[in-house]
Amino acid sequence: MPTFPSVEWFDAIRQLVNNDDSFRRLGTVDARVGVKVGDKLYELTFEAFECTGAKEITENDLRDLDFWLEQSPEEWREMLESIKQHGSADLKYTLNTIDLSRPDGFAKSFDGYKRDAFYRFNQSLQQFFDASAKIDTKFAAGAPA
Amino acid sequence: MPDDAAAPAIEIPPDLAERAKAAGWPEDLLVMLLGRGAQPSDLTRYMSMGVTAEQVRGFIAQQDTGGGNGAPTTQLDLSWMHVPTEWGTRAKPTKKGLTLEAINIGRYGDIPDVWEFKTEMPRGAVAVPGVEAMGYTIYEKQELWSDNAAALYEEAIQRRWRPATDIAWDSLQPLPDDLERAICQICTHFSEKGQLEADIIAGWEPELSYGYHEVKLYLATVIFEGARHAEVFRKRALANGGGLGIQSTGWGFRSATDARNFTEFIAVQMVLQDSFTLTQYGFCEAFFPHAAEKLLFRLAMQDKARHVAYGIAHLKYVLLHRPERRLELQRYLDKGETMLCWDDKDTATREAFAILLAGGKDNIQQGLQMYDLMRGRQVRQYLDRLDWATLDRRKHLTPALRPYLPAEEAAPARG
Repeated sequence: MPTFPSVEWFDAIRQLVNNDDSFRRLGTVDARVGVKVGDKLYELTFEAFECTGAKEITENDLRDLDFWLEQSPEEWREMLESIKQHGSADLKYTLNTIDLSRPDGFAKSFDGYKRDAFYRFNQSLQQFFDASAKIDTKFAAGAPA
Repeated sequence: MPDDAAAPAIEIPPDLAERAKAAGWPEDLLVMLLGRGAQPSDLTRYMSMGVTAEQVRGFIAQQDTGGGNGAPTTQLDLSWMHVPTEWGTRAKPTKKGLTLEAINIGRYGDIPDVWEFKTEMPRGAVAVPGVEAMGYTIYEKQELWSDNAAALYEEAIQRRWRPATDIAWDSLQPLPDDLERAICQICTHFSEKGQLEADIIAGWEPELSYGYHEVKLYLATVIFEGARHAEVFRKRALANGGGLGIQSTGWGFRSATDARNFTEFIAVQMVLQDSFTLTQYGFCEAFFPHAAEKLLFRLAMQDKARHVAYGIAHLKYVLLHRPERRLELQRYLDKGETMLCWDDKDTATREAFAILLAGGKDNIQQGLQMYDLMRGRQVRQYLDRLDWATLDRRKHLTPALRPYLPAEEAAPARG
């Protein structure tokens, strides 16, 4: 059972969406997306019809990304557990809804143009995280049960 | 009077003569071509493509023997098979398939700063003298170009969706009357906006010359997406026991419909208006009550974000290549923002948003506060995008929008 957050966990989701025809049918995605969970940072690379890579990065790498999704470990856990429970994001936990519910936003970027990749590929990103309903996730120590 | 006395002397422009010498084209060939009506710019282009004098003579000879007016002849022509374009091109598919960018290779990838042909000739083809002009009015690259147009076209084609079947319309549940009325009013507004954007862009397409097909093709997808949005919001208004609401006041639209040049239109419609609409779609995704509607808005956001991406990249291109247009652009946005704020006189849509955001009419005052929060986000995201295009708008923002700036960014009013 992969632990969230970890490269192993993101790779498990990558495998799922890259083999999912419905993800491909959503169309091409070209974006470098960060995921920030507390002080842990990861980069997901989307290219054409696939998520081609997941790796751990540092704060210095954030400027190279189109945008990153940032919330506390507790909030990530809440979101992913809701997805697991409902099979996909329920009304309160879509990426966009979370973004609007946070005063500082959830999708962040240093660049007003590149941040719009969050909107341009929104359904593909939603489906990526929704795919986590298909795996069992162990949460890293520090996040409350 | 002898014929040769009436024929005007053919003068070879000195720069053409110089290029011809370098390309190995003899003077008599130039005289013959110019005498047949060829334009010096066309000839220069063929020379730069590496077309030889021999190829030109062969092409002309075949046209002379096989051309002509009247009914098609039974005799084969085949002169077109010797057309002196760049031959042997073999574009390779990418991970995304054979994209527009993938075929922009060799001479076919040369995108001139000024397009010199007035006909529908595809870029890279050979012009035929005498073809009637098409009446295009936009021939300069800086007037319409954005570096992302080809990629956005492919993205739009790949990420298209089908409102009739992609949205689970039969999953909608009956809503309280005030909420259904608010949703139907908002959808009426969005449907009207979608149709209008399609109509205005369709009006601009015949103005854009053929040399910049990437932009023409991308804008064709925007027209289709305008139609899709007109369709999908009309469908939502009519799918759950409600109906259409009242039309918009149309103030905000006027600055787009009245734009007198293409960049003005793009600044007002695809940067300002579409940027604000994108934020509204985002709030609708968060506050519409059904999963089907949230999917609808996520898909609509994708389309709208591409429109903004084209618009803002065009402004950046203009400012990079024609920095003297900076003040001109600020003035278009002055006008556009003022007209957009007049749209707040459209109480129906504003109140409908307030009811949606508050979850019902009983909390409409709270909803109006949330409407202001939405307006603040619209302003911030619009300014962030303009920053990327190198246009600092904070000091120029129309007074009605200035209260929505973060305190540290609020600038004194213009003198």
